[in-house]
Amino acid sequence: MEVGQMQRRLIEYTKSLFMEGILDDQFLQLQQLQDESNPDFVVEVVSLFFQDAEKLLNDITRALDQQSVDFTKVDAHVHQLKGSSASVGAQRVKNGCIAFRNFCEEQNVDGSLRCLQQIKQEYYHVKNKLEALFRLEQQIVAAGGSVPMMELSF
Amino acid sequence: MGMSGGSAEGNDKSEGQSFSCKNKLTALVVDNGGVCRVIQTALLRSYGVETEAVETGEAEVELIASGATFNLIIIEMLLPVLNGPETARQIRTMGAQSMILGITAFFDERDQQEFLAAGADEFIEKPLSPEVVIPIIRELHN
Repeated sequence: MEVGQMQRRLIEYTKSLFMEGILDDQFLQLQQLQDESNPDFVVEVVSLFFQDAEKLLNDITRALDQQSVDFTKVDAHVHQLKGSSASVGAQRVKNGCIAFRNFCEEQNVDGSLRCLQQIKQEYYHVKNKLEALFRLEQQIVAAGGSVPMMELSF
Repeated sequence: MGMSGGSAEGNDKSEGQSFSCKNKLTALVVDNGGVCRVIQTALLRSYGVETEAVETGEAEVELIASGATFNLIIIEMLLPVLNGPETARQIRTMGAQSMILGITAFFDERDQQEFLAAGADEFIEKPLSPEVVIPIIRELHN
C-alpha cells in the first residue's frame, strides 16, 4: 500500500473513532502538544494512561470485592480514572466513570459492579482502537511518510 | 510582570497566540495522577511557562517552604493525605502569592466553595485546556 493510501486510511480510521464517541477533542489537544522536541508524546502519554487505568481498574475491582466496601476508596480511584480518561480524550471511559460515581454515592455495590464491567469493556475497546491507530502511524513512518494531523474542531 | 517590547517569541500551539519569554512565567502542577501531571505540564510548557510537577500536597508545601515561588500553582482537589484545599490553605498561610487554580475530575459546588475559601483563585473541571490557560497567562503577564 502506498503512503498516500495509508495516510487516507489513517485519517478515516481516526475520524471513525471520533464519530463513534470513542475519542473526543481532548485527544486532538494531545496531538497538538507533540512536536520535534517531543515526537512520541502521544504514544507515551497514552501508554501511561493504559498503565494507570489498568491499575485503577484492578484497585476498584479489589475494593468492591471486600466484605465491607470502602466507597471513599472506590470514589478516589474513580476520580483519578475519570481525570486521566478525560485528559487523554477517552470519552466513553470518562462517561462510564460519571455513571459509576452515581452508584458510589448511593453505596450501591451491585450497580457499581455492573458499571465497572461496562467501564472495563470501554477501556479495552479504546485500548485496542488506539493501539491499531498507533500501528497505522508506524506503518506510514516506516514507509517514509509523515503522519497527518486531524484539525481541531473548535 | 509585563510584556516586553520588541518582537514576542513564544511556544504557541494554537490560535496564533505568542507571549514574551523575557520574563518567563513559572508554574507548579500538583497531581497524584501521572497522566494528568504530564499533560498539564506539557500544556503549560507549550505556552512558554517554566513548569515543575509534584505528586503530593506535602511535596508542594515543602517546595514553598524552601523558598520556591511560582506565578501559577495548579492543585488537584483529591490529593491523598493533604488534600487540595488544605494544601492551598497551608501555602497561603506561608505567604504564597501565586495564582492558585484548583482542578478536579468531578466538579462539585461544595468542593469549589471549600477550595476558594482555602485561598484558590479559580476552580475548574479537568481536562486543563488552552481556553483556560491562555486567559490565565494573559492575566499573569499583565
